[in-house]
Amino acid sequence: MATDNPKKRPVQQSGNPHTGINLKGTFISVMLLGVFILVTWFGLYALFLSR
Amino acid sequence: MHLHKYEKIWLTFGLGSLALFLVIIGFAAFWKGTHPMSHIETIDPQNVEAHDSFKPENLGLREVAEGKYTVNIVASAFNYDFGTDADGKPVKKIRVPKGSTVLFQITTKDVVHGFQVAGTNVNMMVEPGHVSRLETVMKNVGEFTVVCNEYCGIGHHQMFATVEVYE
Repeated sequence: MATDNPKKRPVQQSGNPHTGINLKGTFISVMLLGVFILVTWFGLYALFLSR
Repeated sequence: MHLHKYEKIWLTFGLGSLALFLVIIGFAAFWKGTHPMSHIETIDPQNVEAHDSFKPENLGLREVAEGKYTVNIVASAFNYDFGTDADGKPVKKIRVPKGSTVLFQITTKDVVHGFQVAGTNVNMMVEPGHVSRLETVMKNVGEFTVVCNEYCGIGHHQMFATVEVYE
């Protein structure tokens, strides 16, 4: 029994941990970072092709 | 497992980028033949003259076919040996026409050097015991400075030459 409890507890707690938290800002910033990485990569690739 | 809607979007974006870049690496490696500049071929750094490409008379620019050139260089602290001109002076400037295909072959007698033709895609490490090769098409007209970009010692900044691409 004692070994079962630690396994069950996180599942119960993570039932829906994000409800009530506004993650819009997190989402936007993480997507901006992703777009920045893609834009720099393709920018450098264009530089490589033009030289 | 519960995932937030935003997490699903982010994971799709992240995995999509990963897949995209893996495809690009595969395309570059297997289709375009991109590989490290120093090949499996080795050379005795104490005796680079034994290699045909690095015999003193074979150094520098050579036209091997119409529009195709080879440049053989021996790097050493602190000089790029492009051979000598008709007057016996060391060559410090090579000229090729625009659009020509140039194969740079370079090795070093001593320490690690760099070979970068600044402003072009020619940029490689030169390691003792290895022959570094890079073939490129000189698309743009201009004067490009060759620089050593691996710190090789006190005279590192004195290692330079010029590649001129003319119309």
